[in-house]
Amino acid sequence: MSADMDGYTRPVPDRGEVRVLVIDDEAPIRLLCRVNLEAENIDVLEAADGTAGLDLAREEQPDVVLLDVMMPGLDGWRVAEELLEDDRTRGIPIIFLTARAEFRDRARGLDIGGVDYVTKPFNPLELAPLVRELLARIDRGERDELRGEKLAELRTLIESE
Amino acid sequence: MPGPGLAGPDAAPYNLHGPVRTPDLLPTVRALGRAAAAVALLPAVLRRSSSGRRADPTRELESVSRVADELARTADVEGVARTLLDELAELFDLGFAALTIVSDDGREATGYLARSGGEDVDWWREMHLDLEREPSGIASVVFEATAMTVYDTASSGVVSRRLAEAVGARSAAFVPLLVEERVTAVISVATLDEPRVFSNDDLAVMQTLASEAAVAFERLRAGVALEEALKRNEEQLAQQAALLRAAHVLSSELDLPVVLQRLADQLAQLLDADAADCYLLDAERGLFRCVAVHGFDRSLLDFEFPLGQGLAGAAVREGRPLIESAYRELPEPVPHPAYDGFTDVITAPMFWSDEVRGVIGVGRREGRRFVERDAEILGAFAGLASLALRNAEMFTQSARQARVQRGFYRIASVLGQSLSRAATLEAIAQAAAEALGGTSAAVLVPSSGRLEAVGTYELPADLAHLLDERAWDSRSPLFRATVEGRIVVSRAIAEDERMLPDLRAASAANGYLSLISVPVDAPRDAGRGLVLIFFAEQRSFDDDDLDLARHLADATRGALERSELFEAERGARALAQQLTRTGRLLTSELDPAAVLDEVVQQAPALVNAEAGAFRLLEGDELVVTAAGGEGAEAVLGSRSPASGWLSGDVLQSGAPVALAQAGDDERLRGLDPMLQAGHSAFLGVPVGGAEGVTLGVLAVYASVPREWREEEIEALLAVAASTSAALSNAELYQRVALERERSVAILANIAEGIVAVDRDGKVVLWNSAAELITGVSASVALGRAPVDVLQRSLESADEAARGERLVPIPRGREEVWLSVTEAVMRDPLGAVAGRIFAFRDISGDRLVEQVKSDFVSTVSHELRTPLTSIYGFAETLLRQDVMFGEEERQTFLRYIASESQRLTSIVDTLLNVARLDTGDLQVHLAETDVRDVVGQVLDTVTAAEANGHRFVVHLPEEPLAATADPEKLRQVCSILVENALRYSPDGGTVTVGAVRRQDTVEVSVADEGIGIPQSDQEQIFRKFYRGSDAELRAGAGGTGLGLFIARGLVTAMGGRIWVSSQEGEGSRFAFELPAAIADSVETER
Repeated sequence: MSADMDGYTRPVPDRGEVRVLVIDDEAPIRLLCRVNLEAENIDVLEAADGTAGLDLAREEQPDVVLLDVMMPGLDGWRVAEELLEDDRTRGIPIIFLTARAEFRDRARGLDIGGVDYVTKPFNPLELAPLVRELLARIDRGERDELRGEKLAELRTLIESE
Repeated sequence: MPGPGLAGPDAAPYNLHGPVRTPDLLPTVRALGRAAAAVALLPAVLRRSSSGRRADPTRELESVSRVADELARTADVEGVARTLLDELAELFDLGFAALTIVSDDGREATGYLARSGGEDVDWWREMHLDLEREPSGIASVVFEATAMTVYDTASSGVVSRRLAEAVGARSAAFVPLLVEERVTAVISVATLDEPRVFSNDDLAVMQTLASEAAVAFERLRAGVALEEALKRNEEQLAQQAALLRAAHVLSSELDLPVVLQRLADQLAQLLDADAADCYLLDAERGLFRCVAVHGFDRSLLDFEFPLGQGLAGAAVREGRPLIESAYRELPEPVPHPAYDGFTDVITAPMFWSDEVRGVIGVGRREGRRFVERDAEILGAFAGLASLALRNAEMFTQSARQARVQRGFYRIASVLGQSLSRAATLEAIAQAAAEALGGTSAAVLVPSSGRLEAVGTYELPADLAHLLDERAWDSRSPLFRATVEGRIVVSRAIAEDERMLPDLRAASAANGYLSLISVPVDAPRDAGRGLVLIFFAEQRSFDDDDLDLARHLADATRGALERSELFEAERGARALAQQLTRTGRLLTSELDPAAVLDEVVQQAPALVNAEAGAFRLLEGDELVVTAAGGEGAEAVLGSRSPASGWLSGDVLQSGAPVALAQAGDDERLRGLDPMLQAGHSAFLGVPVGGAEGVTLGVLAVYASVPREWREEEIEALLAVAASTSAALSNAELYQRVALERERSVAILANIAEGIVAVDRDGKVVLWNSAAELITGVSASVALGRAPVDVLQRSLESADEAARGERLVPIPRGREEVWLSVTEAVMRDPLGAVAGRIFAFRDISGDRLVEQVKSDFVSTVSHELRTPLTSIYGFAETLLRQDVMFGEEERQTFLRYIASESQRLTSIVDTLLNVARLDTGDLQVHLAETDVRDVVGQVLDTVTAAEANGHRFVVHLPEEPLAATADPEKLRQVCSILVENALRYSPDGGTVTVGAVRRQDTVEVSVADEGIGIPQSDQEQIFRKFYRGSDAELRAGAGGTGLGLFIARGLVTAMGGRIWVSSQEGEGSRFAFELPAAIADSVETER
């Protein structure tokens, strides 16, 4: 099968069910994610704060974590650090959802160990392809390259400013 | 019959003849005479011994007189010897004393008696010495016939080893017993434990005792004969007793006139005469002079008659006593009426060393005849008298010798000590006066062409003044004699034409009749001085005196040399000390003017001058810039040409100029006001400046002419060197001080904090801006490391990075951000010698920046969150691939609506802030029931927002009216409630209340949350401010504008807002608004 030829998005290898954990204190955002991911056959788990998100991640071992940064209580940075320190959750790729405008905030997410970031406001339709592309590259063992690209991208942005 | 051997050939001088001569008696009398002579000598000896160093002359006196007494009384040779030895041992603190008899031929010696520790040393009696074969102290003394001492017997080649060892002697002295210049015996004394020096004094006393003993032994031998003679002639008993008594009486007196008087008295009594007289011969004039009378009028005394006249002349011619029973018929009677009426007379000549010395005579008036025996007795008495005469003469001579000797000792002892010049000169004056028996004395030494009285002894003030004031120039014969090295004696100053009148007058005024002037060579060819001795009596000077005077001159020169050495040494030491002091003083002085003032005070003191001046070279003139001492006031500022004399010479030559009498030169006086002011001696040295340039001239002055000694010149040069060093120091310091003052002024006035640390990292500079910025005063910071006072190091951790760095430091409870730049100072070797930090307080800037940045991201977040929902749900609804149910679509649309409203409210808030900032806030005050507003706010708190919180509401039953803008009031309440929820993330109770106070309504919102630190409670009402660690602890969102807006609104409504909070326990925010008047009216209704 050749996806390249018909112009469609290349079908990702079937991983079976893909599950995404969304950690955000804003209910509308969580709903937004759920609706649009489920529309493309991705299961969604929700947590309204950092603590609940950590528990859920450990229990359910999602394939990807969408993580809001600014939350009361445990914020996104702390949650990411704990996920990466825990053997059970270390392998789960983290995509930060950030409303922070500064580049340094985006860089910080990548520094901590996140593989990508999405800046609010975002087009919810792009979430599913993002998740699938990410997983595909990670499956190909390109996790570190991915981060490297993102950092380079960020650097270009910073320099251009 | 004559006793064997007792009348020796030495009887000859008496030359007695006659039929009734008793040969045995003569030696006896002679012996008695010698004993008397010996005893008579004692006082002289005593006086001599008392001049020695022994502590107790009284004791010596007693001792010697006891010996003399013992010797005079005893008939026991061994007893005499024992007494003698014991006295010697005790007197000189000796362990051993012995007497050894020398054989007549002087070839051997036999121990006679030895004493040690109060016991006889028995073996000494068996001791025999072969004087010719065995070396010994005794042998030496026998051959030399003088005393000798041995300090260390062990190392001496003179003493007998065996005897020294047997005795255990350390130091020894040997004294001969001389009879007729032959050594008949030797006294040996020794110390057993400690070595000691036997002084000449000691020997003199021993010698005296030895002579005493010698005479006593002779007398004993004679005494035995005398007793025999007495036994043979009972008739003579009384006379002999009288004779002995007379001898005793005579021997106890030394004064010649008294001796002779006693003689006359005794004679008259002994021979039962009516009168007795005694004449002495004045050989030069060939006259007899009457010196003692008995039974005559005293007017006879001093009567003189020619040598050959009368019976006396005949007796002298015949050399024996003559009896005249027909005195009146004498062809050539002594021409004096006192002799009229005498019938019977005996006259006996007195001989001494075969020379006639005088005559004695007795006479009777009533025809009682003298017999030949009487003549013999008179002859014996004549012998006795000549002995007494000789004794007295010897005494006088001894006394003089003793005095001379004492003078020598005195001078010697002065010589022996290192005394200051002044002390030496005074000691010389005293020694001179004592040695020659003068009343007072003065020592004058040459100084700048004149003589200066520098040492005096008992000199009356007017004479001293005279000697001091008087110019001892060539007018004075004394001065001339001194220059020529002649001794001048003046028996009668008052009539002496050679003395200047004022000296004669002053001498007379003080009762001085005679003087002697002895020239003394001053050391180092500095000319001659003189010793001047005054005598209260008319004094003639014999050879002894002149000898003594010459000796005195030698001794004085020696003493002066010695004291000069001593003075030089002491002077050098004092100079060195003074120099050190001066140097220290100068180097500690940091003001050039003060240095010079110090120098002109110190320099004269250093060299015994009276004034000092420093002249600074200015162009081609020398200007006096500092002066001290007499005349200093007038000279300050005076100018002289740099090419002139004196100071100019010093300047030109670059070498010291020393003049003893510069003040005498008119031209020099004209050039130097100090000389004009009366100073005479000048000493100037150059003072060097930097790079070999001569800076000026340092000069010292003395008011009297004086020579400048080499070391004084050296010392002044040293002061000059110190001065130039001190001047450089001081000038350098002044420059540095000026620089420093300038720096300090700059540092004090700049806004930047400046901190300097030394190589040890300790603060050495902390300017006032640094105090202000850090809140740490300089007094606290100085000497400590910055990290100790700031809790944060200012130093860059990275040696390479020296740019501007941000360093936060705590100031009280707040944190201050410093922008620090750092400079490292290095020493020539490259080591860090210190650092200087300059810093600004950028806390304000930084806070604004930080807060702005936070605000931007916060606002961004606050805006983006609702935007995300609106945009996201819109996109979602537009999806083609998913068909949403109606319910879902409704949900999406509702979110779009509510989030849009949220966006509006955020924008409102921002607008509010903008209005508050510009003062454009509009409030519409109306009577408002606070209860209603609070209720509305609580109603809008969604369940989700209230998550985990419990609300407690305290509101009154009746309306609670305040004058307020209801919308603004709602906003304030809303902000406080939201904050309460946000800052108590762990839930808890939120208590909301409203209550009527006096004229106000108070609304409060209390939570049980994280609380607010005391330091933040003022800040939280400021724009953009959020609790410093609120984000960390609560992750709390918010714009940081809530409380700023709340306060703005409350204030605009005429109220006030405050907070009370305990960190970790919660906060209570409250505000009050004016109570509505309508309300009060309503209440009244």
